[in-house]
Amino acid sequence: MKILPLIALFAASSSALAQAPAAPRPVDLTARYQRIADRIASIDAQATRVDDYNQLRNLQQMYGYYYDEALWDHVADLFADDATLEVEPHGVYAGKASIRRYFLGLTGGRQGLVQGQLNNQLQLSPVITLSADGQRAQARWRAFMQDGVFNQGANWGAGVYENEYVKQGGVWKIAKLHLYVRFYAPYESGWTRTTAALNDRFGKSTARPDRPTAERHPTWPTRYIMPMHYAQGPDSYRVAPPNSVSAPAPAANAPRTATQLEAQVRALELKLKRLKAVDSLENLESAYGYYADMSMQDATSVLFTEDATLEILGRGVFIGSDRIYEYMRRLGAPTDGRLFTHMQLQPVITVAADGNSANIRARLFEMFGMNGQQAQWAEGVYENRFVLDHGVWKYQGLNGYQTFYSDYDKGWGKHSVPLMNYFPGYPPDMPHSIEYEPYPAVFVAPFHYRNPVSGR
Amino acid sequence: MRRTNLALALVGCALASVPIQASDPVVTDSRLITEERRVQILEAKLASMQRQIELIEDHKAIERLQQQWAHYVSEGMAREAASLFSSSPTASIEYAQQGVYLGRPRIEAFLAASGARTAPGELRETPAMQAVISVAPDGKTAKARWRSLVMGGVHGQDGHWEEGPYENEYVKEAGSWRISRLHWYTTMRGSYDQGWHRKSFPAAGPLAELPPDRPPSEKYQSFPQFHLPPFHFLNPVSGQPVAWDYPPAGSAP
Repeated sequence: MKILPLIALFAASSSALAQAPAAPRPVDLTARYQRIADRIASIDAQATRVDDYNQLRNLQQMYGYYYDEALWDHVADLFADDATLEVEPHGVYAGKASIRRYFLGLTGGRQGLVQGQLNNQLQLSPVITLSADGQRAQARWRAFMQDGVFNQGANWGAGVYENEYVKQGGVWKIAKLHLYVRFYAPYESGWTRTTAALNDRFGKSTARPDRPTAERHPTWPTRYIMPMHYAQGPDSYRVAPPNSVSAPAPAANAPRTATQLEAQVRALELKLKRLKAVDSLENLESAYGYYADMSMQDATSVLFTEDATLEILGRGVFIGSDRIYEYMRRLGAPTDGRLFTHMQLQPVITVAADGNSANIRARLFEMFGMNGQQAQWAEGVYENRFVLDHGVWKYQGLNGYQTFYSDYDKGWGKHSVPLMNYFPGYPPDMPHSIEYEPYPAVFVAPFHYRNPVSGR
Repeated sequence: MRRTNLALALVGCALASVPIQASDPVVTDSRLITEERRVQILEAKLASMQRQIELIEDHKAIERLQQQWAHYVSEGMAREAASLFSSSPTASIEYAQQGVYLGRPRIEAFLAASGARTAPGELRETPAMQAVISVAPDGKTAKARWRSLVMGGVHGQDGHWEEGPYENEYVKEAGSWRISRLHWYTTMRGSYDQGWHRKSFPAAGPLAELPPDRPPSEKYQSFPQFHLPPFHFLNPVSGQPVAWDYPPAGSAP
């Protein structure tokens, strides 16, 4: 019975429509359809360039994570078939097969690390420049090396990459990898006592190069600036300088109804949502690190969903933001005389197709110190899960895997603590999900992504 | 009544004639919403999306700008690093406790004398990492926090580690982003040979040979003293300023 008045109302309005004295004069919308179609094409072209930028950043950072573990097939997969690799001063390797041999020749022909090996190479500070047609790119990166063999030696290193990339079949690949090593110094004496001979130890493969390095550049302490691919100055707006970007062609076969255009706009809205997610997620991951530095347990735990899980080192799984709050409280309050930094680096960010969930692989690099007593280096890998909760990105799961915690005085060449166990007096809700031993044992933290080129 | 039923039936037919997808708008019937109104809505949406994509580009442009900075300073290129700043006379740089330098010429002079100095055998390896970038909704200004870990020293002497955050500000000038204020805090500066737990150095003070235009905007001491450089951003989930539940011991935050 209640439905009747509604029908009557509806009927009345329908009748009004049907009884309209004269049909409204049809408006010619052709020009506006065309302008809308062009606008969609233009915003889509801008969005594609930002997406390319994000993919390129991920690609080089994935290279770093595979390199860390000497997963050479994965590393070689990232290269185009006719790519080149140059590691100064050791020579140029041309073609994918040759490049694969180079990497295998770094570890005696083996895939993967063996007990006692550490092979970290941090990929930092990207300056990425897309070509006008969006099919090629160049990027400059800075690399930190942190490697060695347990009980034999450890090294710090730094270098600069000037790389080129190519998009083939919609997939970005490395076209040219060129590493200039600035220094590579034994841990004990440090970089200020390095020599050219010490620096040249880095990246020497048993595989013979296809040709020698084009030019031999001196390493530090001689000053040499590897040439930069980008114009000097701040013309960095719009990922690539805007004047180099060709305007998209007018949309061919422009749709001729609002329904068709609405569908295109919805697809574009999703594309923008996923791009915004990348930026929000990077901010969130960074903020976590800054708050954890300062033992701000309230600020940290509020970043998690109510049912989130947190699993760090070998401390077990803690479920829910209240338990996470208590976990963070056990890290201790900041005080004078205490240094505790949670550097969050090299985030590989993957947003789900629907834009509602995401994963990040990131690197933890930690400095710890108690003045007058002790200092420590630590490094590890995060694999974190995120969910969009009422428009706000939150941690749904944080997994921090321990690679090493080493005493400053000894370095990782001589010291690495075993997997950190449960907090005394604060047992977890569940035991940790993966049994593993940190360095000097070999453990590869699971990857949330497949190889972006080969899909393996 | 017969007429009403007919009208209802017509509405039903109109809705059924276009296959409805989950993502389609609720109202597509041409007698309830005109084609022109739908076009107006699309135009308004696209104007909003144009602003959104520009804000996303702004975020990337600031990342790229700051990373150019990291390369220039690591390579000791004071002039190029200074060129990343706004041409406004209020553009400023401030390192540690060295004071504030105003305007590009003074910024370049400071970088050449200290921040990006390249004395023979001097090393400064300073990547920028861990960005929290906040672009203002109007896309004209932005702020960002970054972290740098510095490998430094002079060849043949003791090296040093240095770590701390940047809290920087940016402005868009004629379509290009520039740095309007760069502020790098020293959290810790310590000896390589002995470790920061045995030998740490105070945050660098004012240059005697090139006095700053203004004193430091914030007085603090680096490790072993504890200091939290303020965050420009609110907590990304709660939207609230952050604080400690239990005040830190030692020096006042």
